[in-house]
Amino acid sequence: MTLSIPETRFYKVADNVFSVSTYLGHSSDFFAKIMDNYEPFAFDACDCAFSLEVFAGEKVPAYTEEMRQDEEGQRIVCGSTDAGESVFDFSLFEKYVGTLVCSKDYKTSKLFVPNAEYSSYLKFAVNNALMVLYAIATAPCNTVLFHAAVVKRDGKGYMFLGKSGTGKSTHARLWLKYNDGCELLNDDNPVVRFYETENGKGYARVFGSPWSGKTPCYKNDDCKLGGFVLLAQAPYNKIARLHGVQAYAAILPCISGKRWERSVADGLHKTENALAANVPAWYLECLPDEAAAKLCLETIAR
Amino acid sequence: MHIKNGFVLREVCGEQVIMGEGVGALDFGKLLCLNETAAWLWQKASEMGEFTVESLADALCGEYDVDAENAKADVSAIVNEWQKVNVIE
Repeated sequence: MTLSIPETRFYKVADNVFSVSTYLGHSSDFFAKIMDNYEPFAFDACDCAFSLEVFAGEKVPAYTEEMRQDEEGQRIVCGSTDAGESVFDFSLFEKYVGTLVCSKDYKTSKLFVPNAEYSSYLKFAVNNALMVLYAIATAPCNTVLFHAAVVKRDGKGYMFLGKSGTGKSTHARLWLKYNDGCELLNDDNPVVRFYETENGKGYARVFGSPWSGKTPCYKNDDCKLGGFVLLAQAPYNKIARLHGVQAYAAILPCISGKRWERSVADGLHKTENALAANVPAWYLECLPDEAAAKLCLETIAR
Repeated sequence: MHIKNGFVLREVCGEQVIMGEGVGALDFGKLLCLNETAAWLWQKASEMGEFTVESLADALCGEYDVDAENAKADVSAIVNEWQKVNVIE
């Protein structure tokens, strides 16, 4: 192994700063080719919420599997080492792409990738590692990483939720096409932060992120969160308000995190509860048409 | 009987709700709202670890002003619900 000097860069996403250091060599290529989606979030060196170091071709520590998640060809196997580090193993369509090993407090982590080739697999591994880390490390800070599409209009963000294939992106596109003054803030993984004012009251802001699914929409921008819309396909358009536990149930499945670790689950629950109580939530059964986008806007943006 | 690993009681917007959070409970996929008595029984069952309808009914009688027969009927109904949704074993 040759001794290489790492290069470190800093990024700020939704007011949480993290750093990424590469030991892969050709570090400017690494940041230009693998981390281009992070460029709008570049920030000055400072104290970090967490840091990630990326290594190629090194031995990955042994671990015991705790659970696995398999969605649309993307597999994450989670476990822990004897020393108590958390491990996340990433595969894409059965091809192993890398392993993330985290300290107990998730502040310092290492990503091991099989080789230093600047491929889409490496990009996938780096994005996955940073999303996992971000979701877990910021859970105690009133921050949640969502699976949703967000449209910004009149200074407010509206988030479209739903299972994969429900039409979140489609509904967002319909807003852009048929409702005036709309802009896509993020198409897949926005971040939401809750700010407490007093007595459990407060407000939320929604932030763009370096993660946006298949749509390259990496905006370092944010706005007040105006509402959640849980989508369901139907042969008609109908919208209804969700309250309390129903609102909580709508947002819960859209938030990433390691819920089987109690301290992480506690942090996520606190934020989810505050969001359910303070941000309007709606249930939209809809067709993929203009009328759905108009009905939705007229109802929720009043 | 005991509460299955990974199920927790949390307060959601003023209500008491059971949810699956731990390994093995993550696929639960629903939230179970409990009334005051059921939430109290869940707490008790969680403290006891192993419990029976009888031991929970005894505990209920000690806390609330209820006769043994009614307590057993109430506990039995609630425990049945929990068995149906598979949160105890």
